[in-house]
Parts: sequence; structure tokens; C-alpha cells
Amino acid sequence: MAAQQDLPVAAAAATRQVRPQWSASAHARRLITLALAGLIIALITRRPEFAGVAAPAVLLLAAWRPGRPGQVGVSVRPSATRLSEGESADLAVSVTGYGDHSADLVVHPRYAVVPGPGGLAEGGEFRLPFQVTRSGRRSLGVLEITLRDRCRLTEGRAAVELPAVDCYPRAGAQQTRVVLSRLPSRLGEHPSRSPGEGLEFTGVREFVPGDRQRRINWPATTRRGRLQLNAFAAERTQNVVIIADTSSDVGEPGSTPVDHALRGSAAAARAYLAVRDRVGFVIYQGTVRWIPPGLGPRHYYRIMDLMLDGPGLAEVRSRDAGITRLPRAALPPGSLILVFTPLLDRRLVETLRDLRERGFSILIIDVLNAEPSGSRDSLSGLARRIWRMEQQAIRFSLRELGIPLVHWDGEQSLDEPLAPYARRVLVTRR
Amino acid sequence: MTRQLARTAGAAGLLAAACVAWSATPPAGRGFGPAILAAAVACAILSVVRLVLGTAPGDALVYLNPVLSAARQSASLIRRVPWAEGLVITVLVLEALHPPRPWHTGLLGVALVAYLFAVHLAESRARLAVLRPQVPLLAVGLGLVALAVAAAMLPAETGTTGELMAMLAAVAAVAVGGLALQR
Repeated sequence: MAAQQDLPVAAAAATRQVRPQWSASAHARRLITLALAGLIIALITRRPEFAGVAAPAVLLLAAWRPGRPGQVGVSVRPSATRLSEGESADLAVSVTGYGDHSADLVVHPRYAVVPGPGGLAEGGEFRLPFQVTRSGRRSLGVLEITLRDRCRLTEGRAAVELPAVDCYPRAGAQQTRVVLSRLPSRLGEHPSRSPGEGLEFTGVREFVPGDRQRRINWPATTRRGRLQLNAFAAERTQNVVIIADTSSDVGEPGSTPVDHALRGSAAAARAYLAVRDRVGFVIYQGTVRWIPPGLGPRHYYRIMDLMLDGPGLAEVRSRDAGITRLPRAALPPGSLILVFTPLLDRRLVETLRDLRERGFSILIIDVLNAEPSGSRDSLSGLARRIWRMEQQAIRFSLRELGIPLVHWDGEQSLDEPLAPYARRVLVTRR
Repeated sequence: MTRQLARTAGAAGLLAAACVAWSATPPAGRGFGPAILAAAVACAILSVVRLVLGTAPGDALVYLNPVLSAARQSASLIRRVPWAEGLVITVLVLEALHPPRPWHTGLLGVALVAYLFAVHLAESRARLAVLRPQVPLLAVGLGLVALAVAAAMLPAETGTTGELMAMLAAVAAVAVGGLALQR
């Protein structure tokens, strides 16, 4: 679903006219230095061989010709405006109107943008590959265009601001799903406990008028002497609400709880949407923003856009009670709530307790993989131990409330920590 | 660092070392010689370091620890100073401190031109082919170097006046060559 070919390709960019700033090149300045130094030393020491040393530089400088383009046309078009972390894309840059000069392009990248070696492609366009290594709305940087004449004595420099791209979090791997024991009566793909028209065989029952004859189980009918029918489980969908806690950004950039929470949320959203579950998303940050549960690939990109600070359906300003105040549409009763959090925000912990007491089925995925750093003296060590004990106490109290809690390191597949809950249905306790 | 940059920066480094060694031979044990030699060596090393450093990274707004920050400031200082020009001047002064040796000086001039081209190729990440339009000029320039060296090696009959005339003839040849090429 997140493959690059599904992502929209950027539209053709308009050509911009830029005026290069012309000056003598560094090469010309060095040649001038050699020529002047050689001639001055020749005059001072009266040694003609130094004038000879200056000769090649003087001749090269004498080859300078006036005439240079006043402005050039530049169009920049990224091959994709939406990427995943670590995915490669190209910038197609077209420079026109520079005559017999040569053009060199250099990208000065911004944070989390890694340019690759580019070159001139077919059609006279420059292809500049790049990667974005961290999710977010990223400006690619500045493109510096250097024009040089044939003798490389003058240089014209122009800078063009590159467009921004949306970099989605790289979704972690997840194949299995946690399914609740009680599912809402809406057609889906999860076998439920109630009998229905699904595919999963649940047993044999007696025929009653109105049943379909093609479901008669003839061996059982022969054994019992009365018509017996195959019974099947109903297939239902479930509502899943994913909460990503991005309030605490600690640790190494690229592997902070925020990165892991967003990658895990993307993986869960993709896994549940693939089986046609309805997936809602809540992002817990400075404010609480949310979109209600929805279906389909388009909804996946709505969730991704919300991760990139896009507009949600609504926003709750007060973080203290934000999630408990969300309307029924955002937190439908009976939905499974997956929370990706480092559990560093006490208010979120209290909110989760409150949600559990209101009867929601919650599963917490702990994404904290960092510890407070500090010196190795005894006081710092003691502080770290107290901090660890506090964290253990928080986790213990949540488990005591009946909230399953697993730890995910952000690297392995999410199937491994979720395996105990994905093998069988998660019993809903109210 | 790309392979091409490594190749051109390596060539520039070797040529710089050759120029310094060539102009410092035989070593002068007194006067300004040792100081200028030290300056030439420093310029040679730092000019190659400048090539290897390339352009400044764009993520200047990211927080850096003090060591990295100091390293970036040092790199910025190295980028700002024109070390190659310094090397050219110091090497020519070193050569001028020695007694006249025309063919030696002529070879030094050729090596300096090659060094400047290697620096330019490394700096602009360009290929050798971009210098093709300048090959005829370089050939004429090398001819003028040979002419100047030969003029310097001719025995002067009238002492100081002869030396002055030979020098002026060489300068005139260079000027005429330049003017002729402009047409």
C-alpha cells in the first residue's frame, strides 16, 4: 500500500528565471596570483625565467571573452512529493539559456535530507537523487547552480530554493492482528463467536425450515437420522483506534519514541486496513488531534497526513483530558485501542487508566528505548535507579488494571511483542 | 569523498609537495628561507585539506556538541583562506632565494600550472575533459616558458644591462603571446 508507485507524482514545475551573480572564478584568481607573482619577481630579481613561469597563466587569462547570460531558466521537479523514510527519489532539474557555458549543480541539503551523486540524464535534464531519513514535512534545501565559461575564468552563481516533500514514517513490519472477542455487528473479515454466513466452520446443528439445503451435512444426517446442517461463524469487522504519543522526543534522532510511535502506528494502521477493519487515529502531542475510524487505502494516507501535522477532523486543545473528551465518533464503544507510547507523560497514563475504567480494551506498546544519560557517579546512578523504579511502577499499575503492555524496540517486527495477544482473541472485560 | 575527488585531490597534493620540495632544494639554512619553507609546507597541506573538506554542510542549525562545533569552525576557517595562492607565492619566493638556475625555475613553473589545474578540477568536481579548450593555450604557454628559460641561459656580455634586456625580452614575449591570442 505504501509503495512509491501508489504515491502521487509531482506535477511539472514551472520554469523560473534566475539571475546569476557573476564574478572571477577561484581558478582565475589563482592564475592572476601566479602571473603577478612571476612578473613581479622577474622585475625585482631581473631573472627572465620567472617571466616564463608567468607566461602560461597570462595566456590563459588572455583567453577571457566577455559575454555571459544575464538570466537562466530553472525548473525543478521531484519525482515524488510523498516518500517514506529512507526511500529514494530524484529531482529532475532543467536549466536553460546558459549558451556555451557549462552548468554544475550542487544541492545543499537541509536536515534529514541526504543527496546522492547526480548527473546529466537523457534530454538534457539533470537527475539529482536524494533520500529523506526522518519523517516530517521536509524542505529539501537549496540548489546552487554554477555557470562557467569555456576557459573557466568567470563563474555565475545562482541559488534556487528546492520544494518540500512529505516524508511518511517507515511502517514497521506487522502481519498478525489483535482481535477482540466481542465485535460490532458489521460485516468484516474476523470470525466472531456468533453464528453467521462466514467461511469458518463452527459445528453441526439441526435443520430448521428456511435453512439453505446446500449446507446439509449428509454424513451427520445419516448418522443421526435427522437433517443436520453445517454451522459457520459470522464474520465481523472491528474498530481500531491507534493512539500515538509524540509528546516526549528523547534519545538519538531517528530512534526516539516519537519515531517508533509513528512507525508502529503506520504498521498497525496498514495491517488493520488490509483486512478491512475501521481504523481511527489519535495523535497526542501539544494538542490532541484525531480522525475517526475509516476504511480503505485512502484512509491510510489520511492517517499519514495527520502524522505530518496535517489537519485532523478536530483538535482538542486541553491535553489534560483531551482523549477522554473525544467524541463517540473518534472513540467508538467496543473498539480496540492500541497505544504507542513511552509512558513518560503522567497525564496520558491517567487518561489510559480512565479509558480502561470506562470499559475500553486497551493494548499499550511501550516504545521507550532510552534512559536518562548522566555521569557515572553514585548520585546519578541512584537517580537512574529511582527513575527505573518509577517506570516499573507505572507499568505494573497499568497491568494490574488489566491493560496488556508489551515493549517494542522499533527494529523487530511488531508481530513478536504482539504474539501472545494475536494468537487468540483478546477477551473484552468490562 | 568520491573516487574522482580522491584522485584529483591526491594529484594536487603530490604536485604541491613536488613544488615545495623542488623550490626548497638545496635547503637554505639562514635568513627567511626556513620560515618561508614552513609557510609553503603549511599552505600545501591546508590547500589539500580544503579540497577534501569541500563545501560547508547545509544543516548548520542542528545542535552540535562542542567538539563537533569547534571542528566545523576550524573547517570553515580553512575554507575561507586561499591556501593555493599562498603556496604559489611562497614557492616562487623560495625559488627566488636561490641563485639563478633557469631550467629548474622553468620546471617549477610547469609544475605550478599543473597544480593549479588539479586544484581547480578537485574544487569544481569536474573531469579532465573540461580543460580541452585550454590545451592550445597551455602548449603556447609552455613554449614561452622554454623561450624564457633559454633567454635566461644565454651568456650576458654586459652584466646588469644584459640581464635586464633578457628579462624585458621575456616579458615582451609573454605580452605579445597574450595579445596575439586575443585576436
